[in-house]
Amino acid sequence: MRRSSAFVALVLLCGPGLAAQVGVSARLAGRVPPAVATAVSALVDSARTRGLPGAPLVDKALEGAVKGVPTDRILTAVRTVLEQLDASASAQRAAGSLAPGDDAIEAGAFALAAGLTPADVGAIARSADPTHPTAVALQVAGALAALGVPRAETVGLVRASIRSGQPVGDLVSLPGQVQAAMARGALPAAAAAGLERAAAHQAPQPHGQGKGRDNPHKP
Amino acid sequence: MSQEFDPRERQTLGEREASDLPPSLLAEVVAARRPVSLSSQVEARVMAAVRRRAASPRYSAWHWFTAPSVPPWALLAAAAVVLALVLLRPAPVGSPGAASPLAAAAGPESVYVRFILVAPNARQVALAGTFNSWDPAAAPLVRAGAEGTWTVTVALPVGQHQYSFIVDGRRWVPDPAAPAVDDGFGRRNSVVSVSAAQGRVL
Repeated sequence: MRRSSAFVALVLLCGPGLAAQVGVSARLAGRVPPAVATAVSALVDSARTRGLPGAPLVDKALEGAVKGVPTDRILTAVRTVLEQLDASASAQRAAGSLAPGDDAIEAGAFALAAGLTPADVGAIARSADPTHPTAVALQVAGALAALGVPRAETVGLVRASIRSGQPVGDLVSLPGQVQAAMARGALPAAAAAGLERAAAHQAPQPHGQGKGRDNPHKP
Repeated sequence: MSQEFDPRERQTLGEREASDLPPSLLAEVVAARRPVSLSSQVEARVMAAVRRRAASPRYSAWHWFTAPSVPPWALLAAAAVVLALVLLRPAPVGSPGAASPLAAAAGPESVYVRFILVAPNARQVALAGTFNSWDPAAAPLVRAGAEGTWTVTVALPVGQHQYSFIVDGRRWVPDPAAPAVDDGFGRRNSVVSVSAAQGRVL
């Protein structure tokens, strides 16, 4: 047996649960106060039982510790992240995605932190399609909101870009385009509105369907 | 950034919000943050070189010598020892991005991203974020010339990352050229999203 077989055997011996638990403890050990490590480990377990990713909770705890934040504020921030992950997953499930992936849940949580609402996250998730994945669409929406683009314009621009049928690279480039327009003196809302009009102009007009229809494959 | 700054612009730099920067300078910083693009032929050439080496008789002999067959009981014993070491490990191990970013090669799902901060009065600048477990020692920036521009290039995995600069080991400074969100601790974190689509950075 070669070394690759040894690694496979080791993974089987450890088991995914144990390996994940060891991973959380190892990342936190020595970097956060013991009380924080214990509480965050429990929150990570709680997240996993609800189908939510645990890594963002560990990241937030590490961030708080390295920034010198008191224990109670670290835990408050970690709980806020957990709530955002939960709200993101719920919004996507309500939008028809029965089992959203970790990346989509994290992207939705980021969009919520950037100022979007669960309804916005759901609207964007409904617009996503196989060539414009939910995670990417929500990352773009979060970045736009973080740039100062208002909620309505953010959702409108992302949905218009998806509907236009252009490659996902065009969707990904939206925050950069807004930033470039801002560098030229445009307000975020005006920059986004201009890009939305351009995307709508490129959108195909299917026979018998109204403009602006959501992805028909999703409820 | 190869273009020299106008002296009046240089005076307005420092650690300001993006809205405070002159439009021409902001556009330049945004342009400088774009990922370094490599030709698709680079990967093909590297893989061809690796395959040539793997096929060589010298490498095959060395590989046979360093990866011999072992009996199953030895494998289980080794696995138990490794498991014990993992469980008893006293020091934390960072995330995959925690290694020195300059030394780490970008994998197929990674993109090189260059970070820039203009901080003329800083003595040292570091980059910490979710991609390196917020380790202030993982990604120090280097001063680029005498203009007060600090820079580092990091291989970031595809996905979304939050980060901040640390000036002189104590001041957390968001990237003036990037979107930012509340960090939950009363400060702002900058955000960078790396997409596999054409190696783009949001």
